[in-house]
Parts: sequence; C-alpha cells; structure tokens
Amino acid sequence: MSKELPISLRVNGQLQRFFAPAHWTLLEVLRYRLNLTGSKQGCDKGDCGACTVLVKGKPVLSCLALIGQIAQDDVLTIEGLAQPTKLHPVQDAFDECGALQCGFCQSGMMMSAVALLEENKEPTVQEINEALGGNLCRCTGYTKIIEAVQVAAKTLKEEDVSGETL
Amino acid sequence: MSTKVRGEGPVDSRERTTVVNQGRAEAQWDIEEDRSVRAEISSPPGGGIIGKGLRKVEGASKAIGRAIYADDITRPGMLHGKILRSPHAHARIKGIDVSDALALEGVEAVITGADLPGKYGIIPWTHDETALAQEKVLFVGDEVAAVAAIDEDTANAALRLIKVEYEVLEAIYDPQEALANADNKINEFAKRGNITKRVALDFGDVDAALEASACVVEEDYFFCGNTHAPIEPHCTVAEFEPRSRNGQGQLTVWSSTQIPHYLHRELSRVLGLSPSRVRVIQPVLGGAFGGKSDPFSLEFCAAKLAMTTGRPVKFLFTREEVFYAHRGRHPMEMKFEVGCDNMGKIKGVRSQILIDGGAYASYGLVTAYYSGQLLTGPYHFPNYAFDSTRVYTNKPPCGPKRGHGSVQPRFAFEVALDEVATQLGIDPVEIRRLNYQGESTQTVNGQRITSNGFDMCLDSVEKASDWKKRHGKLPRGKGLGIVGSMYISGTNYPIYPNTMPQAAIQLQLDRSGKVTVFTGASDIGQGSDSVVAYIVCEELGCELEDVRVVAADTDLCPVDLGAYSSRVTFMIGNACIDAAKKLRKKIQEAVGEFWELPPKQVALAGGFALHIKDTGRSIPLREAFQLAESKFGTLGSVGSYNTPKLGGDYRGGTIGASPAYSFTAHVAEVDVDEETGIIEVNKIWVAHDCGRALNPVLVEGQMEGSAYMGFAEAFMEEHVFYEEGIPAGLHKGPSLLDYRIPTSEDTPELEALIVESFDPEGPYGAKEAGEGPLHPSIPAIANAVYDAVGIRLRRMPFSPSSVLRLLNEQEG
Amino acid sequence: MLRLPVFEHHSPVGIDAALELLGEFSRRDEAVKVIAGGTDLVPNMKHEIETPQHVVSLKHLGLEGVEREGNEIVIGAMTSLESLLKDPLVEEFLPALRQAVREIAGPQLRVMGTIGGNVCLNTRCLYINQTYFWRSSLGFCIKKDGDVCHVVKGGKRCVAAASNDSALPLMLYGAQLVLRKLGQERIVALRDFYTKDGVNNREIEPDEILTQIRVPIPDQSVSCGFEKLRVRKAIDFPLLNAAVLIDRNADGMVERAEMVIGTLGPRPKLVSIKASQLGGVLDDDLITKLARKARSGNKPLTSIATDPQWRRDMIPVLIKRILKRF
Repeated sequence: MSKELPISLRVNGQLQRFFAPAHWTLLEVLRYRLNLTGSKQGCDKGDCGACTVLVKGKPVLSCLALIGQIAQDDVLTIEGLAQPTKLHPVQDAFDECGALQCGFCQSGMMMSAVALLEENKEPTVQEINEALGGNLCRCTGYTKIIEAVQVAAKTLKEEDVSGETL
Repeated sequence: MSTKVRGEGPVDSRERTTVVNQGRAEAQWDIEEDRSVRAEISSPPGGGIIGKGLRKVEGASKAIGRAIYADDITRPGMLHGKILRSPHAHARIKGIDVSDALALEGVEAVITGADLPGKYGIIPWTHDETALAQEKVLFVGDEVAAVAAIDEDTANAALRLIKVEYEVLEAIYDPQEALANADNKINEFAKRGNITKRVALDFGDVDAALEASACVVEEDYFFCGNTHAPIEPHCTVAEFEPRSRNGQGQLTVWSSTQIPHYLHRELSRVLGLSPSRVRVIQPVLGGAFGGKSDPFSLEFCAAKLAMTTGRPVKFLFTREEVFYAHRGRHPMEMKFEVGCDNMGKIKGVRSQILIDGGAYASYGLVTAYYSGQLLTGPYHFPNYAFDSTRVYTNKPPCGPKRGHGSVQPRFAFEVALDEVATQLGIDPVEIRRLNYQGESTQTVNGQRITSNGFDMCLDSVEKASDWKKRHGKLPRGKGLGIVGSMYISGTNYPIYPNTMPQAAIQLQLDRSGKVTVFTGASDIGQGSDSVVAYIVCEELGCELEDVRVVAADTDLCPVDLGAYSSRVTFMIGNACIDAAKKLRKKIQEAVGEFWELPPKQVALAGGFALHIKDTGRSIPLREAFQLAESKFGTLGSVGSYNTPKLGGDYRGGTIGASPAYSFTAHVAEVDVDEETGIIEVNKIWVAHDCGRALNPVLVEGQMEGSAYMGFAEAFMEEHVFYEEGIPAGLHKGPSLLDYRIPTSEDTPELEALIVESFDPEGPYGAKEAGEGPLHPSIPAIANAVYDAVGIRLRRMPFSPSSVLRLLNEQEG
Repeated sequence: MLRLPVFEHHSPVGIDAALELLGEFSRRDEAVKVIAGGTDLVPNMKHEIETPQHVVSLKHLGLEGVEREGNEIVIGAMTSLESLLKDPLVEEFLPALRQAVREIAGPQLRVMGTIGGNVCLNTRCLYINQTYFWRSSLGFCIKKDGDVCHVVKGGKRCVAAASNDSALPLMLYGAQLVLRKLGQERIVALRDFYTKDGVNNREIEPDEILTQIRVPIPDQSVSCGFEKLRVRKAIDFPLLNAAVLIDRNADGMVERAEMVIGTLGPRPKLVSIKASQLGGVLDDDLITKLARKARSGNKPLTSIATDPQWRRDMIPVLIKRILKRF
C-alpha cells in the first residue's frame, strides 16, 4: 500500500478533507471515496472522456489526474451542476433534445459542454465539435448532442439577458 | 486533414421530415389507400402522447449523474473480483497452483474451472463455453481463474501469484485454415472439424436464373470484424443471502446485461440453484449494441464467489477485458453472384459465406442463418441460394452486433447491385425502385412482409440529397451513393423453444393517481422504459410524471426475452397496449357509470377523464382511478405478446421470420482525397420506415446512432489480431486509443428522415428503428466512392492505403 | 478499472525544493519520475512501462507562462498546451508551434498536458503502449522487461517512435531547453536533445527538470508550418507529422530550407537542404524537389499500426501541403 496523502479538496463547493493513497486517481476518489458516481470510467486511461470533471473551471480527465496532483484544487462534477430543484441549462437541453441515450458518456460530455459555454457564449457547430472532441459517445452519432449544446447556449444567453442566475 | 462543418440549421425548431403517403406513383394507389386506412385503424386512442418528441422517463436522472449503473453499486462488505486470463491462444492447462494467491493477505477466495464446470451458451443447442477454462484455453484472454479479495489491488496481486502450467497447442486464426485443418479441433463441441454451423438453403432455380441473366456480377467481398465498444465496461455485483442452515439462500445479481432473463436461466443452471431463488437485476446500462447479450464469465464468477465467501462480490472489466469478451461483428469472406435482366430486374442471387466465429459459438448458429435469411428484402428475389459456414478460430468469440449477421452480406450485395446498375447503365436509385418487393407479400424464403415503406424511403433520400441533379455529375473526387436494406422487428424464434409470451407487462394503479409499469424489457439506452410509459400515458390519459417504470428485475417484472433482434418496441409495446387497454376499459366504465354515460363517451387525456361530447365535463384522473378502484377493487392488469406463426416450412425457416420488417435507404456523400486516399464523408441522409414513430426524437436518435456506427465500421474499426510470427492471436489494440471510434469531429452530418408505413401488427403501427438504419451506411459510402473516383471498395475497412492502391491500379 | 502501481507522491513547493528532492532520490538510487500534466506518464504507469518509486510533482514550481525576453520567447515548461493556444506571443511569432499544439490529442488532454511534457513525451510503439498482461502475452521487449524487438526482427535497439508534435516546429525555430539539476543548469539545443535510443530518447537525467523552452523570435522572412496525419481528429497520436521552415530574401529567393519529420523512429528526423541546392523562388519545382528530398531515405516502421508504405508515401504530401501555404 502506498503512503496516504492528506487531501483537502473542494468538490462541488464543499470542502472535503481526507487521506487517500497516492496511487489513486481523482476519479477513483470521486467514485469510491466520496460516492460521487456520476463521473464515469470508460477506458481506464484517458481515451474516452467519460470521467471529465472541471478543475478550476477547466475540463480534465479525472482518470489521469493523480489525487496528489489535484489536492487543494476546486473540482466541479456533474453532481454539482444542478440546483436542488432545477436542472442546469446544459442538463436540461441534453434531456430535452434526446442527447441522453445510454447516458454513460454524458456526464463527461456535459462537463465539456459547460466548460465550452463558459468561454464561448455562441459557439459554432465546428467549435462545439472541437470542444467535445475528447468525449466519445457510442449511441447518438453526436447529432443530438450538438443540438443540445446549441439549445443550452441559447437558454444561457436568454437567462443572461433576463439577469436570472443559474 | 480537413475539418468539416455541420449544417447550421435551426437549432430548436424541432422540424423534422416525416414522409407519409407522399410522392407516390399512380400505379401504387392501392397501397397508399391501404396505408391511410391502416394509419387510422392502428391509431392511438387520443392521449396525445404518441408521435411527440417527449423526454425520456430516466433522462433527468442521467442528466444529473444520479442514474445508477452497475459499477455505481456498492454493497456492505463487498469484495472485488478479478479474472486471470490466458496469455496463449490455444493451450492445454496441465496444472494450476493457487496456493500462493490464497495465502496473500486480503484474498478471500480463488476459483478455477473445477469450481464452475457447468457448460453454457446463449443458444441451448450450442452450450460450448464455461465461465473458467476446463482443460483448454481457446484464445488470448480466455478465462482461467478468478479471485475475490478485499480490494482491486489485492485481487490483481493475487492473480500474479497463480501459477498455471500450459502445454501450448497450435492455434488457428484464419477461418480457411480452420476449415482445412479439421483434425486440430479448437472447440471440442464442434461435431465436424471446426465448424460451428453450416446452413445451405436454395430457393427457386438460381443456376437457371443466372444463366438467363443479361448481366451477372460475381465478386468477392470481405467484411472485417469489429466490436461494440459501449462506453460502459461490463460490470457485475453478486450477493448471496443464506436463508437457513441447510445451504439454501437467495442469489441476487446486478449486471450490465441486455438479457436478464437468459442470464437468469443460465445462472440458475450453471450454479445449480432453483430459478426461483435467483434474482437478476439490470441497473441502468451504459450502452450494449449486442455486446452484453451473452452470459459472461464475470457473472458466473461473481455469483460463485459470493456463494463461496458469503460476501457481495463486484467484478468490473477493464477496457482491455471488454475487447476479450467481444461477441462483436463476425468477419465474413463473401462471394456473391447477382444476376439481372437487361432492364435491371433481379433474376437470381447466390452467396457463399465463410464466417470467422472465434473460440465459442455465442449466437453463431443464428448468425449463420441471418447471413442468408435476412437479405430477401426490400427487393424481390425470384431465385436465391446461400451457403454460409461459421467456423471456430482461436480468437475472442464473435456474436451479435447491431444488425446481427446481416450487415456484412448487405454490404456485399448492395455493392454488387450497384455494379449491375453501372454495367446496365441504370441509375442506382432506379434499379432499387424497380426491384422493390412491395407490401403484403412473401419473400422467396417464406418470410411474410406486411408493411413496407421502402419505396418512400427511396423517394425521401433521393429528394433530400438532390440525387437527380448531382449523382454522376459532381466534379471528380465528389460522389453520392445509395443503398437500401431491411431488418427484423424481433423474430418468432425465442432462443429456447417454448410457447409462453415473448414479452409481458404488468400494470398497477391506485387512488394516488400513479401508474406503475412492471416490464421485463431491458432499456439499454434506446428508451424502452420510456416507450412503455408513453403507451400507458396514451391509453390511460395520465401525465408522464405520474408513471413509474420498474424494469428488468426478474423478481419484480414479468418475463421479457431481452434487448436483441430489435424486438423490444414491437413486442413490449404490443404487450403494454394489451395491458393498458384492459385498465382503460375499467376506468371508462367506472367514470361512465358515475356520469351515467356509455363508457365509450369517456375520454382519458392530459391527466383528466373527459366527456368526449361535452368538454366542460371532466374530473382529474386521480378521481377517475378512485371511482374505478371503488367499483372493481384493487386495480391491475397484465398484457402479453407472442408472435403469430411465421416463417418458411423448412428447417430454420423460423429464424429471421419477423412479425414486421423495417426498411431503410441511405444516400452518402463523400469527398475522396486522391493524394492521400482519405475519404471524407460529408453527409449521410437516412430514411427509415419505422412503421410509426412513437417518439420521433428517439427514432431519430436510433437512426443517427446507427448511421454513425456504420460509418465508423467502414473506416476505423477493425478487430485485428497478429497472425504472423510469435505474437499470433493477440488483439492489436484492446483500448479506446488504438481501437478508434469516431469523435464528434470525425462524424459526418447525419440527417434522419422518418418514414411511416403503419404496420398492421406493430404497436400503433410501429416497427423497429435501432438496427436497420446501420446496414446501408457502409455500402452507401462504397458506392459514393465509386461515383466520386470510379473505384469499387470490396474490402473493409476503407483505409487510405487501400484506396490509394485501387486508385493506382485504376491509373495503371 | 486499470489500477496504478503503488508509488510515493511528492509536491515540493519551489524549484529548489524540487531539485533537492530529486537529488536525494538520485543519491539513494531510487527510481523517480517528475510529473507535469501526467497525460503521458499516468497511462504509462497504468501499463507498468514506468514503475517509479517516487513521483515528484512540478505543479508548484512556478514554471508556467509565456514571456518575451529580448529577442526570445520564453515558455515555462509547465505552461499548458491549452494556454499556449491562447497566447498572443505564440500566435504572433510562433504560428507553426500553435498549429502543432492545436492538433495534439483532445481538449481535456490539452488542458492537462504541458509543453514540457510534450517535448519530453516518451516514445511510442504498438508493442509497448499496452497493458502488462498484453505485453506478457506477446513477450516483453527491449523497451521494458525484455530483450527482443517486435518491430525489427533481431533488432537490438529500440525503435519506438517520437510522437510529439510540438517538438517539430520547436526544432526548426531553434528552440533551446533549460535543464536544471541540483546546483547545475545547462542549456541544450532541442535539435541535440533527442537520441536514437527508443528506450529513452531524451538527454535528460531523472533528477533533472526541464524548466524553460527558449525560442528565438524568427525573422519576418521566415515561414514555418506544420502538418499531421492521424486517424481521428481528436484523441489520437500522429501517424505521421512534419514541419517545414524556409527563409526567403527580399527578392523571394529561398535561402534556407529545413524540414523535420516525426514518428519515423525515436528521434524526429531533421532534413536540412544545402544552400547550393536551393536558390530560386518557391515554385512548384522547388516544392516537388523538397518533398522528394523529405521522402528519400525514410522507412517508416511497423511501430505505428498503419501501412508503412502508405506512411512513406505521405511524407512528400505533407511537405507539399505545408509549402503550398507559404
């Protein structure tokens, strides 16, 4: 067993302090220690994007992030996106547009979409394709996902205008 | 490499093109009338749900990351299991020593073949595999032993302490060699040499038909093997609860399976437990595509180890192990002869197909049949013969992948048909239109065709792609290709012979206003949970939020055979209508009595019971349910579906005999870079006759996903094994880095064009949509490449180097 | 899930602390790897190609950022690929580097991956970037745990392929690497950094840290470009990559031309054209000549799973495509 590291991680806004073995990845910590199972494991080693979470607002592959490398950072997972009684516009659009078939890749996909829309309020289809290029989906052929991101962009923009907070 | 931009159409207009009874030739008016009448007869009762692009019942839980998939399950005291796999492609096990592994701190149990000797297999006639190898291992990755330990690391460490002595045997990777080398038996189960199954069937007089044909194309085609690659790796959690002191107890298995019922049967058989004491639960499933429709080693190992240790045990495959579990698309070497008269009418078709099966049979018996039986539409074949042989090889076992058995011959046949069209100077759309078999007909191999919207599919893609103006007229390097296909909506062959229902539903509703649907069907992402909820809402008038779906739990739900052969919507849909109509009648009666009206005048819609003639008169549905509960007592109903008697009167005539067939046409548009050989697919138009779109968004999703998967197979995906030198039999790249599936940046624009033909027997007229639309992608791309640069792609995948080679040959 | 082997993780703060730590492990002769983004190291550790006892994080050394110092662009080794893409100095002065970085992997890997990590990317081979089980089934090779080569039968030298994209334009731009170890700093031209040994193709010690990449700002007369072939447009390593630099005088005459081709072996292959072979403007003749020159003598190997002959044929195609843009 490797030496345990003291970890102090802010996950979805909540400070988590614990010890974790150095050879655990952020994904393993999220799923099996913090019971945040929304982030998925599909490929073992950074090839599919299903484990994408936001670290300091940027999309990273939690299956490749050693827990020691992330310690003390801010992490946002799919569980931290919705309000208690209201979906995030990206989640809502994915549901509305039929982008969720088996859903297994979609937590990661939605996190990539959220990161994109943080930076780019009106992405073109090509920009969406590029931003989601690191997230494999096996069900949809991506068509409905792209549509969902466009719908979410529109909602976010409208909410922005109306001053509504997310 | 170039970058492609999708069309930036309206994003939320929800505009979709649905072709119903449009643009038909006058001569076919009778068919159109049929369809109009049929649309009315099979109409939903007016709940206003069917045909709408509603959300899925589990959509929100997936969106917020709370849907529970198998690996999200943790049980108290749970152990972790790992499987030791064979590093050899073919070897005899001389001895296994597990003592060091057992001695490792944290290891709770180790099992080997001796602990799980029971043979199994999805098809009752071909029980040719065991959870752990008995005497021989048959491919690199074959399972040898399993460990349960306190955590994954300890289990992995234990695997390296197991000593296995192997006597390495000569392995066979090439199916031709497997045929020729009958003495070197790979799987002892094979009765003759290395043959899993040979099917040779003759319909009509093909020799004479080909002899009399004005044009015969005879060519060899090769379809490479590929795999499903669902993003969720296989995972199982098993738990055994003792119930007494005499060894009795209850086994519960949560597994990422698309066939809970068959898994239930096989677990019970192999473990020697009464099926009444085995419970199989399918959690939310992260994709399957046929890749989770066999019982797998991890399910038996988890169950056995749970029984051995008394603790819950979880097995989660690594991505590499998913590639070894495989059951993917069979490689096929195909010879096709297609003969037509000088007008382009098909006179005869003959195929000879060698199917590379890998180490175990899986669904191979069915594959051998499907490779021939499912080709007899959408075109009329007056004479047809096929001779298909599936052989064992020392590679991971192949099985059913989306479009099981028929994607490969469809590729070969449709490229051959295109060649005929070229040779006769006929437009490729026209030759397909000319040979359209029509509705309400029977195929040469005895299959009953009911509804058939293939003609509308052709019209639809022809128009959408502007085919007439563009095919054959685009600048060199650009081209269009068209292909048609047919697929089943389930079959009347229930895997194991029985006369019980193939699909069943149980409904419960009460004074709360809630309706609970118990369904054995497996939602694998395609939306079957939602489909039953929509049907219940349509029939009972309730709102989607007031329906709960309890699915795929063998303790709670009536039996359904599983998510395969595109049977789910058709069969469970009919069962659900059956159950819901019974309750609907009771509610109408109760409300009718209350209002002193004939029950027929009571409508149920939008959460209310209403008087159809007087819109002012209504009560909330909850009150209607209460009236019914008062009148009839506790409310519930069951419904079921079984296929009518179908199929030709010959051995195997029922395999591929479906209550309804779906039809598809694709047009693909490509750009061929003649410098690199790289083919860029710009767009695929997908027209699919799904009978009736119960939810057009879900139907489109299936069409787009299918077309994507076909595109992926055409270019990127090949299950390759080294076949020369030392490392033979090893998968070339068992990871999602090396086995490349397309990203959003690679995938062409896909336009789904729904066609509705209103099947007389489908639920509200619906047929399948999940597998049919994959078939045409690959040959449509090949035919488009011919239009672009004049080369015929007859071997897959369409790699740039093979394209360049053909272009060079063309020049030479 | 594919698990990582056990190791100790260290997060020193400041370069001196990191160098101390590395020096200490070096003295104790304990295997150590530094980790930047981890996108190369972590999969290699999961595959047990790398099995360090210690992993030392470079995260808190302050090595991020791009700055102009006189006539040089100085890139901190820990600068993420994603931030390089957004950097105005890179965009203005090092467009070919930007082209290359843009095509590395996919969005998340560019957020995590660093320029230092890409320059120091381990060599890759079909027969090595696999799990321990897979490699044991195949028979271990020279690069790790074995003594044979599966690419070159009977080969005694590892030929795993340089697969980093950023190195190609950086070599042509004349980039220099600043390497530090305890009490010592050295500067190495990137062109001299790579060796022919696929086991370890980088001239860097385990206790050394790459801190900076210093790139002279090219003259206005310089054109430099990058092209790459891969199967997928994201989540993929190059099947073949190439960069070309030319320098033209005021009359448009080509005075200098250099090309570098990756993935052919452990070292990106530099092809310099003698001034005597140049002269004249960049017309189709010269483009063809340069493209042919790039192709000659190169034999792609089966270390990358694509028809080697096709990859060889693609060398001039890539070179031409770059030159046509100039």
